[in-house]
Amino acid sequence: MSFLSDENGADLRQLFFESAQELLHSLNEEGLRLEKNTGDAETIRSLRRSVHTLKGDSAACGYHELSELAHAVEDVLSPEVAHTENPRLAELVLAAADIFTLMLAAYRNNAPLPSGEPLRALIRKATPTQQAGCAGSSAPNEAAVFRWTEYEQMLLADGANRGTVLQVQIEIDETCSTPKAAYELVRKALAETGEILVVHPEEKSTAPLICIEAAIATEEKVSDVVRKCKIPAIVSNVRVLPWAAGSSEARPALGSNSGQRISADPKPKTGAAPAASAEGTLRVDAERIDAVLNLVGELIIGKSMLHQTLAEFDQRHSKDPLRGRFADAMAFQARVLSNLQKSVMKIRMVPVEQLFRRFPRMVRDLAKACGREVRLETSGENTELDKSILDVLAEPLTHLIRNAIDHGIEAASDRDAAEKPRHGTLRLNAFHQGNQVVIEVSDDGRGIDRNKVIASAIERKVISAQQAAHLSDAEALELVFHPGLSTAQEITSISGRGVGMDVVKTVVERLKGAVQIESRVGQGTTFFLKVPLTLAIIKALLFRVAEKVYAVPLGSVLEITRIEGPEIHRVDQHEVMQLRDEVLTLVRLEKLHGNNGSLKPKRLFVIVIHVGGRKFGLIVDKLVGEEELVIKALSDQLIATDLVSGASILGDGSVVLILNLTAVVSRLGAIDAFLAGTPPVVRDKGVVA
Amino acid sequence: MSERIRVLVVDDSALMRKLIPQILEREPAIQVVGTAMDGAFALKKIEELRPQVITLDLEMPRMDGMETLRQIMRHYRLPVIIVSALSTRGASATFKALALGAFDFVTKPQDAGANSSNLQEIAADLVSKIKVAVHSRPSTLAPDLAKQPTTRAPSKPAARVKQAATKVIAIGVSTGGPNALQYLLAQLPADFPGAILVVQHMPEGFTEMFARRLDEGCAIEVKEAQSGDLLLAGRVLICPGNRHIKVRRMPLGDIVVLTDDPKVNGHRPSADVLFRSVGHEFGSNAIAVLMTGMGDDGAEAMGAVKIAGGLTIAQDESSSAVYGMPKAAIERGHATRVVALEALANTLQAQCLPERARAAKL
Repeated sequence: MSFLSDENGADLRQLFFESAQELLHSLNEEGLRLEKNTGDAETIRSLRRSVHTLKGDSAACGYHELSELAHAVEDVLSPEVAHTENPRLAELVLAAADIFTLMLAAYRNNAPLPSGEPLRALIRKATPTQQAGCAGSSAPNEAAVFRWTEYEQMLLADGANRGTVLQVQIEIDETCSTPKAAYELVRKALAETGEILVVHPEEKSTAPLICIEAAIATEEKVSDVVRKCKIPAIVSNVRVLPWAAGSSEARPALGSNSGQRISADPKPKTGAAPAASAEGTLRVDAERIDAVLNLVGELIIGKSMLHQTLAEFDQRHSKDPLRGRFADAMAFQARVLSNLQKSVMKIRMVPVEQLFRRFPRMVRDLAKACGREVRLETSGENTELDKSILDVLAEPLTHLIRNAIDHGIEAASDRDAAEKPRHGTLRLNAFHQGNQVVIEVSDDGRGIDRNKVIASAIERKVISAQQAAHLSDAEALELVFHPGLSTAQEITSISGRGVGMDVVKTVVERLKGAVQIESRVGQGTTFFLKVPLTLAIIKALLFRVAEKVYAVPLGSVLEITRIEGPEIHRVDQHEVMQLRDEVLTLVRLEKLHGNNGSLKPKRLFVIVIHVGGRKFGLIVDKLVGEEELVIKALSDQLIATDLVSGASILGDGSVVLILNLTAVVSRLGAIDAFLAGTPPVVRDKGVVA
Repeated sequence: MSERIRVLVVDDSALMRKLIPQILEREPAIQVVGTAMDGAFALKKIEELRPQVITLDLEMPRMDGMETLRQIMRHYRLPVIIVSALSTRGASATFKALALGAFDFVTKPQDAGANSSNLQEIAADLVSKIKVAVHSRPSTLAPDLAKQPTTRAPSKPAARVKQAATKVIAIGVSTGGPNALQYLLAQLPADFPGAILVVQHMPEGFTEMFARRLDEGCAIEVKEAQSGDLLLAGRVLICPGNRHIKVRRMPLGDIVVLTDDPKVNGHRPSADVLFRSVGHEFGSNAIAVLMTGMGDDGAEAMGAVKIAGGLTIAQDESSSAVYGMPKAAIERGHATRVVALEALANTLQAQCLPERARAAKL
């Protein structure tokens, strides 16, 4: 029976992995800081604390390999080592962070553990020489070290009255299969040379026989003793050392713990303590917050139910004095509800810093691997974003940064030639824009050549030459996200040229966000990742198409206009309209129902939206209004298309589908001949609450 | 036991802040009233929650454990149990903390979730120490003790003469032992004629540092015992954690032997094992001393020393941090004398005088 219940144990391990992750982050950060300020005592102290906690925690969870390795690292990070200003220390810390990360992953997945040996090797290099132990060390010319107990020393001293005392160390051949017999033979051989004063191990010892140590009082010469003891096939090595009184006395009592070094110095006073941000924080399971958020969502649905009821009530009893009081109460409730919602959302918000802090280490390693000089600048770390979004953004950002370093930023020599500063600059920036967060990844590298992208797109039959002629700059750059382009190109150890750019796009769009590129040849590239503040609740514009209610995020709506049927024109394969001095590509949502939009000669609503830097017009039958939608996740089976990103429930219980605009315009609008996949169909029955 | 013992857990590791309360909450008599992640926070929570016992981690950011302990001692005088890492540095810090007045220490829990006996042992250890700590008087001795090693540098002889001991003193001690031993041994002169063997209940890995600290603070020689070490006048041998210690008379001198025999009274080292061996080998030249500590280890075998003609001493109640072991010996009628800690050094010195030893032999 285990002492803690399984559930508690699992909880504990979960907590361990979370806090270990944080410890590793700070290990990486402090490691980088140490690299800049070699031997900084404060940094080393804080490093040691992190490693110490990791050691204790992992031991508590029974992860001994990790704990022991952490222990070894902690020992290296002693104040004495700090004084030496060993530049290897930072390297060691970063290597340790890497190994720890791998070990954590292995523990988590019950996978085989990575070897800690490379790290141990680094540790050995970083620490002052260690004394070699006696048994087992097979360096032949090394002086033998004998550790006689005090009483044995007396025996030796006493034996010295009767002859020369020799200390003999006899290594037993590893291949020897009969240790008992070997022991007897060695003993006999020793007895022939003189009087045995002491012999280790004792006869009844059960430990595996590796090495026999003995002291003998003898009249024979050292060489004779060696010859007599060297029994072929049993003894692999014999070392003999004459004993002199007092020679091996007063050895410090290092005994069993010879690996540990001692630091008895008093801890230096901690100076200015880091900001007290940790105080009063509460670690809460994300699921619990989600539960609250869900309930808030239900409340919002309840609110719209009430609103609808009130509207009906209004119509039936417009004179009733109760009506006003109802409305007041509703307004009050709505205000509190909106505050409640904001507060709950705030709980989920975490600063982007949590994401950015992973990158300094990565940038450093990548730059090293690619032979680049890269400076990382970050700003806007305090911008807050929903935790779940933040977590998902790590992958696309990693891709972008890899690409920027591998392909964007040039080698120092090329930069010299281009009269740019030798070191490239990679900037990460985050800021709020409406109810979106924009994350910029920009480099001052060589930029993306629009013509090369187009050429390669044509070559790979992603677009036709004819279409290429019509592409705007933005559209041309956009092509790098096309799966056909972003795979299958030359691949370096870091990243293929553009490999994974389609992943970036997919991930960001799954978050109901968008990616944009700006690039100037020779000057650099900037990627803009725009994501909603939160995934849980959006402000949306609701409308009807073919008697079904749909919604689009209000953030992407620019304006609403009306047109007559005849105002719709055809250009190439698109329907377009004139909006003031612009030509707007139109998208017919009837196509959602496989009903290939015949022109209906009536006045139509057009919702002007912007997607990926371009404007489109959605043709809809009827506008319903603006509402806050609580997004319900849809399981994949329910939706046969990526055109819908989620669903919500209205006050009257009806279901509204939220459109994934990027997919909608690319499939139903613009260059659809090339990008369209299967005919899009939404299974009506598929959506449930 | 009508009221539950209110405990505050202070640790910078979130994991420990979860694990330690989980361990403690299995014990109905204990209630964890709160946790704190660093010293400053802990002091606030003490004001707020009024705990009776505190468990404290020493390695923490901002206000570290040692400073926290100082503050707690200065302002609240609450019993503090150190939760210590198993390492050389951890041991060193732990003894410093004990000198500052911490009640006792336990090692950090290990192997939670696994079928681990370690966790059970530590849990039992922590629970029993909390139960005793809550009734302990705030130690008035400790602050003075803390100064001793620095204010009075011991005068160590340059070279010790190996001299057989007149008497063999076996000491069994547990909770409260580190400070009490420091107090006792610091008063003994370098030429103390007896040999001292100590069984201090303490986990493996701590005894080496413990012996080293005592050696630094005392004129008399203190070392962690190794098998084959000689019993010499003016020497204290501390039994290493997780071993038993026995004595053996050999042709050329008297030695200690460490063994891995099973636990006795739930302890390894056990004072019972030492006392029995000392009584058997040295008879009337043996002195058994039971000092502060929980439980009754040593109380039984003290009788064996007494029967063999040796002197048996129990520390008195008022000077014992925990009066468990001495009381058990007294209740069994095995203690011939009851001595206060303050008087113990003089008593031992008088007993070990060569003339007296010779007289005893006659």
